[in-house]
Amino acid sequence: MELKFTLNGEKRQIDVEPRKLLIDVLRDDFGLTSVHSGCDTAMCGACTVLVDGKPVKSCNLLAMQVQDSEVQTLEGLSNEHRMKILKKSFLKNHGLQCGFCTSGMLISSFYLLKKGRESDDDEIREAIEGNICRCTGYVSIVKSIREADDILNKTSLEELEMKGEGR
Amino acid sequence: MSTFEDKVNGRGLFIDDVRLPDMQYVAFFRSEYARARVKHVKADFTSRDLQGIAAAAGEGSESDVRTPFREPILAGDVVSYVGQPIAAVVGRTKYEAEDKLSEVEVDYEPLEPLVDPEGAINSEPILPDAESNIIAENYLGKDFNVDASVVVEERLYIPRILTNPIETRGLVAHYDGNNLTVWISTQSVYSIKEAFSRSLSLDPDKIRVIQVDTGGAFGLKGGFYPEYAVVALISMRTGKPMKWIESRSEHIVASRPGRGAIGKIKLYADTRGKVLGLKGDIIVDAGAYDTGMGSFAASYIAYQLSGPYAIDRQYIHAVSVATNKAPLGPYRGAGRPEAAYFMERMMDQLAKRLAIDPIDVRLRNLSSSSFVSPTGLKIDPARPFFERALREMEYERYRGMKPGVSFFVLVPAASGGEGCKITVRDGLVHVWLGGSTHGQRHDLLVSKIVSSELGVDRGSIVYELSDSGELSKGIGAWGSRTAIVGGNAVIQACRKLKDEIVKEKGGYSPSMLTDLNKSVEVFADFRGSLNSFGANLATVQINELSQVDVLDVVCYYDVGRAINESVVREQIEGGTIQGIGQVLSEKLAYGKDGQVLTSSISDAGVLRSTDFRGRITVKIAEFPSDLPHGAKGVGESPTIGVPPAIVSAIENVSGVKILNTPIDPLSLTRRENE
Ligand code: FES
Ligand code: FES
Repeated sequence: MELKFTLNGEKRQIDVEPRKLLIDVLRDDFGLTSVHSGCDTAMCGACTVLVDGKPVKSCNLLAMQVQDSEVQTLEGLSNEHRMKILKKSFLKNHGLQCGFCTSGMLISSFYLLKKGRESDDDEIREAIEGNICRCTGYVSIVKSIREADDILNKTSLEELEMKGEGR
Repeated sequence: MSTFEDKVNGRGLFIDDVRLPDMQYVAFFRSEYARARVKHVKADFTSRDLQGIAAAAGEGSESDVRTPFREPILAGDVVSYVGQPIAAVVGRTKYEAEDKLSEVEVDYEPLEPLVDPEGAINSEPILPDAESNIIAENYLGKDFNVDASVVVEERLYIPRILTNPIETRGLVAHYDGNNLTVWISTQSVYSIKEAFSRSLSLDPDKIRVIQVDTGGAFGLKGGFYPEYAVVALISMRTGKPMKWIESRSEHIVASRPGRGAIGKIKLYADTRGKVLGLKGDIIVDAGAYDTGMGSFAASYIAYQLSGPYAIDRQYIHAVSVATNKAPLGPYRGAGRPEAAYFMERMMDQLAKRLAIDPIDVRLRNLSSSSFVSPTGLKIDPARPFFERALREMEYERYRGMKPGVSFFVLVPAASGGEGCKITVRDGLVHVWLGGSTHGQRHDLLVSKIVSSELGVDRGSIVYELSDSGELSKGIGAWGSRTAIVGGNAVIQACRKLKDEIVKEKGGYSPSMLTDLNKSVEVFADFRGSLNSFGANLATVQINELSQVDVLDVVCYYDVGRAINESVVREQIEGGTIQGIGQVLSEKLAYGKDGQVLTSSISDAGVLRSTDFRGRITVKIAEFPSDLPHGAKGVGESPTIGVPPAIVSAIENVSGVKILNTPIDPLSLTRRENE
């Protein structure tokens, strides 16, 4: 079947088997290997991507379900200012050990910071509840997200707008 | 390897990211029964086509695996656990391979499975050639009679727990007609290489094992599995590169869980709480085949059962029993957490019986001099450390919260040493280590040591993932050993390199080094044992629904010398959550028919970010070892010390005696309603 969608800002068109999962189309057909598979029951969040701006588990969707939608993977968010700050903070605060959960964690936290938050740790913890990390115990991840948010809050809206990334 | 920058940019190279031209995909047909005769199989590859035994590898595999208990790479006439591989199929895509599974035909004749390890001890053997279900049996220490005022006896139990790294097992194998090359997610390319050589009867010189980015392991990925041998054999048959990636469902039924131990322990004590003698039975649920860990675990638990305490009389019966479950493997701590849990629980029960403060009971049993236990465990003077631990953990401050406290000793698997290779090429210093990182920041360990030994800046040091084609000899990363023996190997390699340069050039400077193209390889032997003492304190709150909230976990661990404090801290945080998980929820559940009842990673009880919102306080104690860098190891400390401290706190707050994990909230309710 023919799937038309926007992937990381580009219009794409591809012939896919109707049963094929979105995760497999992203990884196999487009080589987007930031998207990881950690379970087969939509429970670990390693495969999280944005569909029309919202975090979605790409192992839990048939590719055909994103017909006409916009899909963004970690690769496609690399120019976003917020994502850059988040990545820096994950590196600085060791928000990753093995790094397998990291893309999914970054996507979920990017979504949280983009929609804005009250800046308490509980909200951060809830935002990444769907992403399991077996290595870090979450402490350094929560810290990474909190610190990125603090930095972003200090960066004035004007600066963001100058960079062309204001809301 | 890919760097941490690569990983945050989604550019890691994990095993499922490895693609070779013309690569095909292997899928396994697995037993639906815990025990059955297999009357007929029709598939691409069955035990008739691919024969062999999966060799034991990794932690605990030192012990010889006896013939009747060795696992065939594909089941023959019998299947012995749900999930056991019976046949393999190959497809050009993952989807095609999975489709082919539906064409596999297997006729079974179901047999009555043995699921309960205690019951299995005296039952008919589950394996045709075995005389009994006892895989290994040992008596440690010496039998004794003692005149004791009190005897406390309990049966304690930790169920099987899955390792559950977020990246499952996987490999790509390619046989080119002459040499076998394997890319794999692993803790050791050396254990894997040796096991391939033994399982496939291949000359080790024709095997190269290359580690790719490894997404967590926790004991799982030091071992060798039937699937690995099958994938390689299919590549040898077809000449094509073959890939297998384990699904989470396969991980749940067919990977090797850890723990699964019963302790029936008896403490003989005087009225002041001095333990005069320790007797017990350690029964390990080894699963259907012995993978090394199965036979090793029971004796290993028995050996270190008395932990840091000086108990003069000990007599422990250790038995590993075969049951119709997946074979046992190591899970973070591998025997150490079981021993500490049993002992610490017993110390609390003794204190309660005597109505003495549990801290006093513990202190009374610690010695200020070195001690060798009747089982052979060597203990450094322990009492001063734990007296200090109570101060450092601010025990008095938490007292009103009815905290639980645990004392333990981590004996790292340092023996055997480790290998290291350094190659200087084009101004960069490349370093290979025998143990393979699966998240522990070996890169930082290496760059810190190399920069201080050789004076080169960290930017020119490249930590490389393991590759048996580069460094020829190594052991592996498990048992909290890498900082100790890996660190030492890096130091020895640096010194050898420096010495050689001095010999050749009459002097040394960092720029002389980076101008060269040069390589050294060492294997730094290490014999003997080390003690890393540790203590934990935990406080909990139990709400109206009998749910336990863990509030505070305080860790005071001797790391020898911290090579990188934040890395130590993060290892402790990660392990602490696993320890909390063991107490609150983690369990691999089986039905009476041997079916696996656990259906997903959530169901297995792995904690999420919202399950623990308490505080972890890490205090690092530094009592350096005799090694040049003083390291002692810490990776497993939290999975050893945290569970008993939390269970103790729950017991103190609820007033309900707790012997098994994970705790059953209903049991806490029952008490309240009484
Ligand atoms: S792989 Fe999608 S949630 Fe686990
Ligand atoms: S860093 Fe390993 S799973 Fe999160």
